[in-house]
Amino acid sequence: MKKRKNILSMVLAVGLAMAFLTGCGGSIQKTADSTTLRVGVTNFADTLEPTENYFGWVVMRYGMGECLAKFDEKMNVQPWLAESWTISDDHMIWTFKIRDGVKFSNGDALTAEAVKASLERAFAKSKRAATFFKYNEIRAEGQSLIIKTEKPEPNMPGFLADPLFLIVDTAAEKDHNFAKEGPICTGPYVCKSFVKDKAVMIRNEYYWDGQVPYQLVEIPSIDDPNTRAMALQSGEIDMAVNIAAGDIGLFQNADKYHIDKISSLRTVLARINQNGVLGDPKVRAAFIAACDRKTYNEVLLKGTFIEGKAPVPPSMDYGFDQLKDPNSYNLERAKQLLAEAGWQDTDGDGILDKDGKPLSVDFVVYNSRAELPLYAEACQSDEKKIGIDVKIKAVDYNLIDKMGINGDYDLLISNITTANTGDPEIFLNWYWRTNKNGDNPQNGSGYSNPALDAKFAELSSEFDREKRRQLMIAIQQIIMDDGAAIFFGYPETNIVSSTAITGATMYPSDYYWVTSKIKPVR
Amino acid sequence: MKNLTDDKKLFYFYTILVLLILSVAVFAPELAPYNPFDANMKESLTAPSTAHWFGTDKLGRDCLTRILYGTQTSLMMTIFLVALITVVGTLVGVLAGYFGGRMDMLLMRFADMMLAFPGIVLAIAIAGMMGGSVANTILALAVVSWTKYARLGRSLTLKIRECDYIAAAITCGTRPGQMLWTHIVPNILPTVVVTAAMDIGTMIMEIASLSFLGFGAQPPTPEWGLMLNEGRQVIQTAPWVMLFPGLAILVVVAVFNLWGDSLRDVMDSQRAN
Repeated sequence: MKKRKNILSMVLAVGLAMAFLTGCGGSIQKTADSTTLRVGVTNFADTLEPTENYFGWVVMRYGMGECLAKFDEKMNVQPWLAESWTISDDHMIWTFKIRDGVKFSNGDALTAEAVKASLERAFAKSKRAATFFKYNEIRAEGQSLIIKTEKPEPNMPGFLADPLFLIVDTAAEKDHNFAKEGPICTGPYVCKSFVKDKAVMIRNEYYWDGQVPYQLVEIPSIDDPNTRAMALQSGEIDMAVNIAAGDIGLFQNADKYHIDKISSLRTVLARINQNGVLGDPKVRAAFIAACDRKTYNEVLLKGTFIEGKAPVPPSMDYGFDQLKDPNSYNLERAKQLLAEAGWQDTDGDGILDKDGKPLSVDFVVYNSRAELPLYAEACQSDEKKIGIDVKIKAVDYNLIDKMGINGDYDLLISNITTANTGDPEIFLNWYWRTNKNGDNPQNGSGYSNPALDAKFAELSSEFDREKRRQLMIAIQQIIMDDGAAIFFGYPETNIVSSTAITGATMYPSDYYWVTSKIKPVR
Repeated sequence: MKNLTDDKKLFYFYTILVLLILSVAVFAPELAPYNPFDANMKESLTAPSTAHWFGTDKLGRDCLTRILYGTQTSLMMTIFLVALITVVGTLVGVLAGYFGGRMDMLLMRFADMMLAFPGIVLAIAIAGMMGGSVANTILALAVVSWTKYARLGRSLTLKIRECDYIAAAITCGTRPGQMLWTHIVPNILPTVVVTAAMDIGTMIMEIASLSFLGFGAQPPTPEWGLMLNEGRQVIQTAPWVMLFPGLAILVVVAVFNLWGDSLRDVMDSQRAN
């Protein structure tokens, strides 16, 4: 009797599984809703307070916040809430003309005074603000905003295009919780509700730049790349930000999907901690030289990433082709370097050792970007060939920033934008300028090179475009020669949208996802 | 009488299957066509073929090889885990049951406390706090699973303690240690062993689920749950990466469950006789 029951239950289980699988097969394309837009994203923000962490990015990406300036498709700085700007002859005073007729989402007018209050708020609340520029005075005169800086700031409009400086109505803060209910800004949509997993936006009735097409925008955070792709396939969402390399092939049908992809300004790099075993330049060089980055990008990631070499991606003109990578893929050289550094496999376990300690490093990754664990595991497999034991530690994205600052890693991989202000100065500065007593917190690796610091000092007050470019090329070469990080690759980013909507565009800066340009197809 | 032989036949059949699985685990290095860690990245995600029967995974490693080695990982973890919770749990239960009173109170209230947590959630919390690794997975699951054996051991001991031969042994001056070892434990062992045998399948599943969630085995360990998770990301474009580890879990868990069942049937009918 029992046997029969067992067999019966197995048959039933198999039957159930089959029914389940076939149930998943037929995807139903829902007809697009002309009043509601649904966008599948990855959200890292716990709150909508724009000065906290990098949460301002989310406020801007969701169509709430706007800055004085914005970046176009080619990363040129364009006017946004500021109509125009000028700089004084001594290069110390910037004057921004604030656009007339712009209103906050509560109906209050955008004045230069309001902009001043908003910028001061950003400086008061975020330590990061001062890493962009330091000011002596901000003054409002009519609709003009005057900023006197401590030293010449060549890239001021680019700085003010960073989401950290998005303009909020500080007067509204006393009866409105920005963190929980969303800040009062000038963008086409206003936050209706926000939790980490899902944001709901409604139309800003006071929007200044034309008609806002949707009444409602639902933005679920679908962190798993594969689930995001499936949500788009099933019609659960109308557009998805960043479909992974492995899944992009599923959306090739041009009648159903539109893929907008561009080579981004991002770079996937692994910071290398110099306080551990990788402090030895030879071990570091060997580690980098053992990574077959060409194969990772061309085969494993199916060419959706460009092979990495330098800090700044080739999509920007900062000397990519002329830079020389001293640690290009070379297993023999890697092995030799390790031998020179005194590492040998004395116990025959395949892992090198010195003074009784195995050559083992911790590689920290987070999984919400599909390529990161892939790079890490491919690297782990390659390092084993030269006798380095790589231990992969997967952590939540929210821990990454803190771990980077505290230096809790041997290697820490992340996907970083290199030009959030329009040129890569800030990016290079943050991660590699010497961190003296915490004045450059993002460089938690202990890396320091006085020659490099001198170049940064020169760069910070250089106005000539070509000279700036040359300086940044020299800076990159020093970083590469020192083996200060591994540059794995440069991603293409994409927005894939259903053909039921139009206007979904991916910008190189990665700040503008939900815009008033996204409309239903009539 | 006929019933008994039928049960036995079936039990032998399942035992053979179990031995087959065990020998796959033991001889994985001989059976596997490739090295489970050798990444041939140029051949990533190739479909099943004569060279790679089960295809290759994202780094171009042979899936069949990794599944064979996975048998080793999974079974070793499971057997160790089941042995650990059986011994610890039963010991606690027997002590509580035999001595009663305060010790019983203390041990069993502690067990009740552990039972108040939802098992797998607590295991995730423990593994999450200690960081993912094979050892931590076993520890986490052991912490949540031993209570079952403690309760079982206690109730069986309580039943036996009332028997006349125990009273006789006490009268003869048998010491508690000897009493437990020669009279109590041998008498409760069959039931405990059957429970343990039936638990093997469940434990394989739980280990695999922790690894699937990223709290168990870490890459590049060939472990079924972990492989399942890796395959999940390419489920639409390379389904074989997920399919075969899933099948491996299905087959092995089914065999161990059937074996556990038939072992119980044999024991039951023997006792009835």
